[in-house]
Amino acid sequence: MADLMQRMDRALNPRVVAVVGDKKPYTWLRNLQPFTGKVYSVQIDPNEIPGIEEMGVENYPSLTAIPEAVDYVICAVPRQVAPRVLIDAAQAKVGGVGMFTSGFAETGEELGAKLQDEVVRIAREHDIVLLGPNCMGLYNPRLGVRFSADQPAGEGGPVGFISQSGTHAISVSLLAPTHGIRLSKAVSIGNAVVLDVPDYLEYFGQDADTKAIAIYVEGVKDGRRFARVLREVAKRKPVLIWKGGQTEDGARATRSHTASLSSRMAIWDTLIRQAGAIRVDTQEELLDTLKVLLFAKPGYGRRLALMAHTGGPSVVITDAFSRAGFAIPELTQASYDELATFFNVIGGSYRNPFDMGGTIGGPNSANLDRLFDILERDENIDTIVMDVAANFMARQFFQNPERLPEFLARLTRQRDRSAKPFITILNPAHLEAEVLPVRQALQAEGFPVLPSFERAAAALRRAMDYRAQSAVSDQLSAPATPR
Amino acid sequence: MASNVIERARGEGRVLLNEVESKELLEEAGIATSGAKLARTADEAIALAAALGYPVVLKILSADIAHKSDVGGVALGLADGEAVRRGFDGMLRAVRAAQPDARIDGVSVQRQAAAGVEVIIGMTKDPQFGPVLMFGLGGVLVEVLRDVAFRLVPLEPKDARELVREIKGFPILQGYRGAPPADLAALEALILKLSAFIEAHPEIDELDLNPVFAYPDSAIAVDARVIVSPAS
Repeated sequence: MADLMQRMDRALNPRVVAVVGDKKPYTWLRNLQPFTGKVYSVQIDPNEIPGIEEMGVENYPSLTAIPEAVDYVICAVPRQVAPRVLIDAAQAKVGGVGMFTSGFAETGEELGAKLQDEVVRIAREHDIVLLGPNCMGLYNPRLGVRFSADQPAGEGGPVGFISQSGTHAISVSLLAPTHGIRLSKAVSIGNAVVLDVPDYLEYFGQDADTKAIAIYVEGVKDGRRFARVLREVAKRKPVLIWKGGQTEDGARATRSHTASLSSRMAIWDTLIRQAGAIRVDTQEELLDTLKVLLFAKPGYGRRLALMAHTGGPSVVITDAFSRAGFAIPELTQASYDELATFFNVIGGSYRNPFDMGGTIGGPNSANLDRLFDILERDENIDTIVMDVAANFMARQFFQNPERLPEFLARLTRQRDRSAKPFITILNPAHLEAEVLPVRQALQAEGFPVLPSFERAAAALRRAMDYRAQSAVSDQLSAPATPR
Repeated sequence: MASNVIERARGEGRVLLNEVESKELLEEAGIATSGAKLARTADEAIALAAALGYPVVLKILSADIAHKSDVGGVALGLADGEAVRRGFDGMLRAVRAAQPDARIDGVSVQRQAAAGVEVIIGMTKDPQFGPVLMFGLGGVLVEVLRDVAFRLVPLEPKDARELVREIKGFPILQGYRGAPPADLAALEALILKLSAFIEAHPEIDELDLNPVFAYPDSAIAVDARVIVSPAS
């Protein structure tokens, strides 16, 4: 296994990449434009070679002809040629192959299944790290290895994403950075015939760049092994599982989609719970939960201070968090005594939730620091939630942009000194375009920004359930009292 | 040895172990049961009952009968030899009348267990994830409300702890309305032994301990059924 991890590490952090079989408009080669290493092409079609060379890419007739060792091969040839390319890859001692080529077992045809068997045999025999087939392969943003030209390059991050769907791999890798979530690597694993989810999970479990792991999975081939590896890795890093094919109809779609078996959701739920992983059911839940895990302090105390604006939203934010299992307690008398000295109670209230608009708005913005001081000190409060309401608070930042840095500085001061988790909520409202820069500014300072009360409450709940159970399992890892 | 019971059943072309065999296997795995001895005649049953101590329970032993009480195959609270004889003869008559084609191995005799909180602990195999252990409260709660929780085998101590606490009916085990609380540690220990037993016997396909009686100071399997895979 250590050997497989080393081989995967080479393939997933390549210095030399070769694209086999790219054609006009040379999508794969263009995807690699930001790549920090060396790119080669393998193409024998005389109609394609001039276009490749015009891009400044050296072309060779075969992988074995490339004058240096290739770490990662993108294979985009027709399926009949795929076994031949793998044989060359073995001979050239390449690190790994991302096989974009499709038309294998997922077609349900005999020829497809036969070709897949051949591909598997060659890859196994020669210890080739094979991603796919029928997949988008590797996205390594730090090194600029991409499978979509829209994917950002240059800066890596803490999240490893394993996806049984190529489209979800693209979608998450595009969407996550717009929410401040950077990926270490994403792998689209396709038919997963040589390497399956447990292999990638094990890899990300020991990958120093990866601090949290997200998985989109429809089914796995060796469930027992997946359960074992998940359990082991989830002890060290948060693992979020987005299971596709949860309904009977969805499960039918998985069979035609990736030729994998699907299992009843109750078992998956058990598996996820037992391993201490985190279940998410949508892409939104995946990203929301990651935000809290990555950008809030790791506490899991469920007594919240809710910083809100005006009456109705104060009521509704309280309902949302209370329904999600949180307590919104009263503060200590000392806190109330101090609040009484400056809180604007005309049209406001400070029992918790804090209807704070009149208190911290405009010329009184320094009162935000005083409010934070009280919440930081108050022993009844574990976690702080702030609604940066688009119509009340965010509006003043896009109307008076000079106030935004001051606001961010107050939030940063609180966050940096505190062990109490802090999350913000910013509803896009009817001012989506105006709100966006405020959201981006908050994200750039490393704050979790959730788009609604309800989604914030659900994400905080998931993250805290995870934190709490991992703390409990640390305590329980001591042997139980024998009877 | 455990394998003897399984090999014998397989040798006879059976996959279903009867209550006596199932409990024998469980006892060998360190799981407390209410015991069960095979009687082929009323005289054997009376002798066994005298040795075990009254009151006793008789149950029909037949691989062809899934729900024993539905066919008159259970007699509870038999207090003396005369009651055992009447129970034995009556049971065979009732079962033969209800299910004439059922093959009958005999009757199991066991000392009647004191009433406890009834729970069910079972195992089925998932095609992808292998053995899955199920826990729930017995009787109507499992059948109607499906108030059960699952864990994949093997279970760690933490899993057993969480499993018994996950069902909605957990307060009943904690001692509802003045009833004494069940011995949760004993239930957890039983579950962990069962998990180890299942791990050690991949040939076991399905298993039901139904009911297990949870007492304030112990837990015992009162009925058991083990299904093994056919001999290869």
